[in-house]
Amino acid sequence: MSKHMGKKPGWFLRLLGYKKTQFLTIPLFSIFCSLLAIAVLILLIGKNPLTAFQSLLQGSGWLPKPNYAAGKSILTDLLDMLDAYTPMLFASLAVALAFKAGLFNIGVSGQMLLAGFAATVLVGYQDFPAGLAKPLVVLLGFICGSLVGALIGFLKYRFNVNEVVSSIMLNYIIQYVVGFFIQTRYVDVVSRQSRAIKAAARLTLVDVAWGNMKLRLPLLFIPALLVAVLLYFYLKSTVGGYELKAVGLNRQAARYAGIKVGKRLVSSMTLSGGLAGLAGVTYYLGYYASIKPNELAALGFDSIAVSLLGNSHPLGIIFSSLLITSLDKGSTYMNSTVGVRQEVSSLVTGMILLFSACSAYMRYKVDASLRLALAGFAGTAAALPQQDSADGSGKGGKKA
Amino acid sequence: MTETIVEMRHITKRFPGIIANDDINLSIGKGEIFALLGENGAGKSTLMSMLFGLYEPDEGEFLVRGQPVRIDSPNQAVALDIGMVHQHFQLVSNFTVTENIIMGVETVKRRLGIFPAVDLKNSENKVAALSEQYGLEVDPRAVIDDLQISERQRVEILKMLYRNAEILIFDEPTAVLTPQEIQFLLQIIRNLRDNGKTVILITHKLDEIKQVADRCAILNRGRLIAVRDVRTTSTQEMARLMVGHDIAFTLAKKPAQFGEEILRVDKLTVENEEKYEALRQVSFSVHRGEIYALAGVAGNGQVELADAICGLLQAKSGRVYFRQTDITQESVRTRNLRGLSYIPEDRQSVGLILDFSLQDNLVMKRYYQPGFRKGLWINREHWQSYAKRLSQAYDIRSANGIQTIVRSMSGGNQQKVIIAREIDQDSDLQIYVQPTRGLDIGAITSIREKLIQERDHGKAILLISLELDEIMACADTIGVLYHGSLQTEAPAGQLDLETVGAYMMGAKHE
Repeated sequence: MSKHMGKKPGWFLRLLGYKKTQFLTIPLFSIFCSLLAIAVLILLIGKNPLTAFQSLLQGSGWLPKPNYAAGKSILTDLLDMLDAYTPMLFASLAVALAFKAGLFNIGVSGQMLLAGFAATVLVGYQDFPAGLAKPLVVLLGFICGSLVGALIGFLKYRFNVNEVVSSIMLNYIIQYVVGFFIQTRYVDVVSRQSRAIKAAARLTLVDVAWGNMKLRLPLLFIPALLVAVLLYFYLKSTVGGYELKAVGLNRQAARYAGIKVGKRLVSSMTLSGGLAGLAGVTYYLGYYASIKPNELAALGFDSIAVSLLGNSHPLGIIFSSLLITSLDKGSTYMNSTVGVRQEVSSLVTGMILLFSACSAYMRYKVDASLRLALAGFAGTAAALPQQDSADGSGKGGKKA
Repeated sequence: MTETIVEMRHITKRFPGIIANDDINLSIGKGEIFALLGENGAGKSTLMSMLFGLYEPDEGEFLVRGQPVRIDSPNQAVALDIGMVHQHFQLVSNFTVTENIIMGVETVKRRLGIFPAVDLKNSENKVAALSEQYGLEVDPRAVIDDLQISERQRVEILKMLYRNAEILIFDEPTAVLTPQEIQFLLQIIRNLRDNGKTVILITHKLDEIKQVADRCAILNRGRLIAVRDVRTTSTQEMARLMVGHDIAFTLAKKPAQFGEEILRVDKLTVENEEKYEALRQVSFSVHRGEIYALAGVAGNGQVELADAICGLLQAKSGRVYFRQTDITQESVRTRNLRGLSYIPEDRQSVGLILDFSLQDNLVMKRYYQPGFRKGLWINREHWQSYAKRLSQAYDIRSANGIQTIVRSMSGGNQQKVIIAREIDQDSDLQIYVQPTRGLDIGAITSIREKLIQERDHGKAILLISLELDEIMACADTIGVLYHGSLQTEAPAGQLDLETVGAYMMGAKHE
């Protein structure tokens, strides 16, 4: 303990310890740490990490590539990335919403798949005009996802079934039931996937000619951003949001306050499932136009971590989704130009998520060491909140 | 004083924002009962935690038996023959008494000359002998789960004795005991002294100090105020030193004016979560202008009763009436709106959402009402002005105003948040469960005054408390719960402390 005493805390500690910006500095620090670790790894395999990172950004449309094929440009790359970004944003918002209500929605993939499948069969294979088909797809996706979410919430509320268990089991059920129907009825014999949907039902406009380029326009990109902002205000400024957070933070106290906890659990899970459904239709009927049978989208699981990186905050998630999607989309280009294998980008993603999972610990360590350092500085100590002061300093003291 | 066993020199301990101990100099003699007296937050526990190696002092040193020592862990303390009974017992509940006591210092024997095994039989005999010697009356083979709180505490004492502790620290040992059990414990403490042990007693109960202690040190705000010989010091003076000013021991209380009946509980039976009938066939009623106090040892159905009246627990049978309306099946919210406030026993996990701000906690029972909302949206300006008004009116102190996260506030201020919120609803019926537990004398007095003030405003008050002092000081009517049933009920004047204590122990029936 004594070695910290009476020493003014360093700039780094003060930067990370500053409460008001901690929501930003800690995730950024996580990202920095993981990039550093990956840079070492790339160095070890004899490549230049800077060119590798540069190519990641080039591949996802943030930086211009040295040359483009016909009909391609930085804009097409960026729009491609945003096309993949849209479902990621919806899925991460779904996880975050459930998380705020104290629930863990690990079944986003299953909800996505069911929503995507239902919309594919009921709208994607029919001859509806685009003006009818597209809204129908969105609506159907939301409804199907929310039904699965509602079931999970209901099982939790009525029979006290742990939502993690029920959603994982439902993932399996949906995965194989949907797989069965695709393989027996809707399979495309060449691709071994479900038959491609009609263009009218697709939520991404492909091959939109603009100048000499062909662009992909993800129709739900702007709405997805809007949903994130809406969710932010819902949680911050509505009566329902207040109740939801109360239930998430302390169910007993929420009950004591007269909140109908069961109803809140079911409705939050329903809404979360609905968002997952939107992720499903933008993924299977937007980014792709068909469904691979017997397979869950990895995106549904990545979204858990993305949500974590964004601190389960709707506005934070806008950025964390962007980062993870960019890394993912840039990896193919990195592979072909720098020769660093595509998997390295998954490694970066994994590292970032690992570090951000440690963010609570980092925050604790930063706060504890800052408190220790300031304890020697009697005057400034009062400015710090006394949170768990006895406990924290005790533990810190033991360590030093 | 014969021989000094513990000496503290210039002990100082700082936590951010506060100095918990400021230049404390004390010497404690071998074979005496030494009391540490002070309000909550005066620094008693911190000082003793340092002696027991839980914290290290920032400045100063400890001398044990004349030798300067550095105590950096409880193991170190045990090696110096120092033992401590904490407020929260540290026992494995499905182990026997002996298993708990020998844990960490087991004697090992070898079965068939090879296989190591714990020598339980010898240990049991040793525990039994110790129990005999100090009059602890503990069965070495009993399982902790089957023991009462007071017996568990004696197991903790045995644990120290088994490790040959010479200096025994008791942290608020009587907080959880009935009057009879307290007397028994005090006798044990005397036995310990008569056997040459040194006892350090942390407490804020003056009468206990008066009964057993030889000397006492009084702390206030981290500083040592005085060390007094207990025999020659009056409790009044000790109290004055402890608080820093004179305090009234009795509450000024007008005679009660009973009005209409507000709450009637009729043959109420409630099962707790383990499907055990925690409350059986309880009937009573509370009127306007009445403080109905329910006494009882912890775990005799008090919490279940309060929860059932408020709608948090379903009644198995029987009815609850509020102003003659049957509310047995109504929701928590409906009951709140009828005029029912509840200060729960477990303030941190029931009464508050610790990660919410002060403001969000203060509106917890009101946020949905007109004025607090504009349609679906919350009326933030109103929340803020409401929270500001309440924190001023109830003197709630926090570091960052109404946006302070409640978790970072002190226990006393957390309790004030609940009390402010519940009283401000202006409810006809107010249920207080252990409203002053763990608070210091200043806060206790102010809460009890509030209670009586509310009564005088014509509210019906149901006070559930484990502290007999509190029951005796506030009650107009006293009921006693034992094993989930109401043992007796009488106007406060007709029952004295000992009688209530006897009912609480189930020693008396009607």
